[in-house]
Amino acid sequence: MTTEDFDTASETSDLLGGGGGVRQVSSLTAFAAIAVMGIALALVPIWIGDSRTLMGVAVTGLLFACYTIAFNLIFGSTGQLFLAVGAFAGVGAYASAITSDRFGIPFPFTMILATGLAMLVGGVFSWIAVRRSLGIIFTGIVTLTFSLAFDNVLLGLRDITGGETGLVVDAGSDTFLSRQIPPYYVFLSLVLVYLVGYVLLHRSHIGWAFRALRDDEIAAELSGVDIARYRIYAGAIGGGMLGFAGALWAHAEGFISPATFTFVHVDVPVLVMLVFGGIGTLMGPIVGAAVFTYIGEVLASFSQLRLIAEGALLIVLFLLFPQGVVRALRSGASELWRKLRISKP
Amino acid sequence: MTAVILDGILLGLQFGLLGVGLTVVYGMGGVLNLAYGQMAVVAAVVVSLSMSSGLPAGPAVMLGILAAAGIGLALDLTILKPVYRRRGEARVLLSLLLTIGVAFIIDGLLVWRFPIEALSLSIGGEPILVLGVPMRTGSLLASAITILAGGALILFFRSTTIGKAVRSVIQDEVGARLCGVNPSAVRTLILTLSGALAGLVAATQSMTSPVPISAGFDITILALLVTVVGGLGSVRGAFLAGLLLGVVNAMSSFYIGAYITTIILLVAAALTILIRPSGLFGEHA
Amino acid sequence: MLEVSNLSAGYDSKAVVLGVSVDVREGEVVAIIGSNGAGKTTFLRAVCGLLPVSEGEVRYEGRPITNLAVHKIARAGISFVPAERHLFPEMTVAENLALGAFPLRPDPGQQSLVFELFPRLAERRRQAAGTMSGGEQQMLAVGRALMSRPRLLILDEPTTGLAPRLAAQAYESLAALRAQGMTILVAEQQVPIVLSLADRGYVLENGAIQIEGLATELRNNPTVRRAYLGVV
Repeated sequence: MTTEDFDTASETSDLLGGGGGVRQVSSLTAFAAIAVMGIALALVPIWIGDSRTLMGVAVTGLLFACYTIAFNLIFGSTGQLFLAVGAFAGVGAYASAITSDRFGIPFPFTMILATGLAMLVGGVFSWIAVRRSLGIIFTGIVTLTFSLAFDNVLLGLRDITGGETGLVVDAGSDTFLSRQIPPYYVFLSLVLVYLVGYVLLHRSHIGWAFRALRDDEIAAELSGVDIARYRIYAGAIGGGMLGFAGALWAHAEGFISPATFTFVHVDVPVLVMLVFGGIGTLMGPIVGAAVFTYIGEVLASFSQLRLIAEGALLIVLFLLFPQGVVRALRSGASELWRKLRISKP
Repeated sequence: MTAVILDGILLGLQFGLLGVGLTVVYGMGGVLNLAYGQMAVVAAVVVSLSMSSGLPAGPAVMLGILAAAGIGLALDLTILKPVYRRRGEARVLLSLLLTIGVAFIIDGLLVWRFPIEALSLSIGGEPILVLGVPMRTGSLLASAITILAGGALILFFRSTTIGKAVRSVIQDEVGARLCGVNPSAVRTLILTLSGALAGLVAATQSMTSPVPISAGFDITILALLVTVVGGLGSVRGAFLAGLLLGVVNAMSSFYIGAYITTIILLVAAALTILIRPSGLFGEHA
Repeated sequence: MLEVSNLSAGYDSKAVVLGVSVDVREGEVVAIIGSNGAGKTTFLRAVCGLLPVSEGEVRYEGRPITNLAVHKIARAGISFVPAERHLFPEMTVAENLALGAFPLRPDPGQQSLVFELFPRLAERRRQAAGTMSGGEQQMLAVGRALMSRPRLLILDEPTTGLAPRLAAQAYESLAALRAQGMTILVAEQQVPIVLSLADRGYVLENGAIQIEGLATELRNNPTVRRAYLGVV
């Protein structure tokens, strides 16, 4: 019945979940929530510490939580649809693995190098998207082509990267990283660091700029907010976060292959996790990662069903809960609180 | 060299048809159907199954095309309804996400039920010489069908009333409605047609080389690249881009290698977006 | 032929047009005049189905068509020429006209009538609509609207972007159509030219009808003269 789109900006942000969840609670609450979650997760090895498989699954879950937090920063805070989450992590992982094994540089340094490289790549993509005024769709397609191209580069440069069969990463295999329990705590710490970083970033002037440009890009630009710069910050920081996590994974796991970082293997689950948890919320990535790692484990023996389940979930989620679980819970909780207050004598 | 270029042109025709199926759906309704490749694979599966139960090639191919068209129809009538309710970027995003979901579901079902690795039709016979190059019967048949389909498509869009109605919705939807065109009926038609095209390409492709069950995503990406290079929404652009990329693909695969070829195609699409987002052959922005 | 009763419509739940009633009888030319932002376009769009009607009713030849889908209204015999024209830029004049007749195939007889009315279009029948000048596009828009043999022709500010000479020509064409029996509803900012053609008119300001009456009455109405005809 209605005609031309008068204002699609509000529609898009409705789909993406406009507004940051971080702004609505005080810093204290945010940090408290992070602390509580951190303590709760720290206790997990008590139950599953004996099983190497389960610990592996848990660490993978934490890794994906890191990925999702980074993607939340890039997509949730600045609306840049980077469909290359896996690729950025892969850049970090392969850069660190190759330079440490080939050139003998101690892996903490190669990780810094790798993170720098991933930051550069992320920043460059943001810069390109801004310079060429690429909308969400084109940004998505361009980053997707990068993701696929990266995959092919890894497969093609067999001599350097090990190709399809993957790369065994020696650096780090003789440290605590290769044991059963410590990687869990290492990655848990990374998750906590990323979350705290996310809060601090959003409290700062950078976070303010993010909100301005999400709410109304034109108004923000007219008020003097340099959109380009803040998008590039988000892209670079997010890219760096992904690169570091990927590199850490390479040294902890001791083995990486192109399949570890593909679009289907990383980007799609991260997307599902973020949407489920709630784009732009603080805890959304954690909730999403936790739930889907658990579901993945339950469905592990039925790998085809997993694909079907992921697909069905994607559809159901985006149709019914575009705002995500965290917001749904929060509005449900505030509804309950309101009702309780009203019914008080 | 001639052989490679000929191969490239034939491949390009298929790429072109594939691209048209995806681009026309985008042009019509601002919808990116990422389950496109899966529709193609389903067609190939249906063809293969019907042939192994004794059906001759012709009817089997028809059945396959119908199956894919049916998926297109089903998609339009169900999943895409909430998508159409949104406008602009929100619509494209939602369509992208929902169709990825559908793609996963179909992929999962296929891989689960059909452990057959790849499907190919065997159309035997001695190779025939075309321009001094020996071509297998299967190849020739596939090319003939593709050329006929391409011609029929062009005729459809240029000359038929419905075809013009489709173009009108792409160019100015409000104008089309004012002329009495029902956009949602046209969209349903186009989505069904898009499925049929995907099915046709998969069926003809399996006449020359096997179509793996897991090829869905790869086919979608290929169609997306052709669409992007040709210009999102441009039918003519998709045809021409398909031909170009087909020739590039053939030459690159022959002279360089498989991975580089894929990378070249990907880079071509990325560069098109960066340099000329309306597409190399696109008619309108 | 067309009865609009108490229509309210707007954007994003903000009413732009409130409680407007307009009648158009067969064979008449009815004008809706008002300044920019008065609500003329909103009103016409709501009548033609392009905007949702929040209150009120629209009846065409006795049948209710309120909030009917645009294409159905178009097929019922009402043709709307919007201010933006909405032509198909990559299609030729001939193709644009052909679509006007949708879902039927274009009638050569009707096409000749259009070409008689607008000889320039005949000259440019193979030219792409997007490459034509403003005046030619206006002609094409009206011509396309005529291809479906409408009984009611609705136009929104047909003189938009037209030089005075072309605007006059446009109204000459409308006069010719009226002579052939067409019923016309036209919204116009340029008051003198439309009142010279119209039988009756409505003055729309701030989303409501302020004055209505015969064209001759409106021409002599002091408020109208002051506000729209620049007469102090």
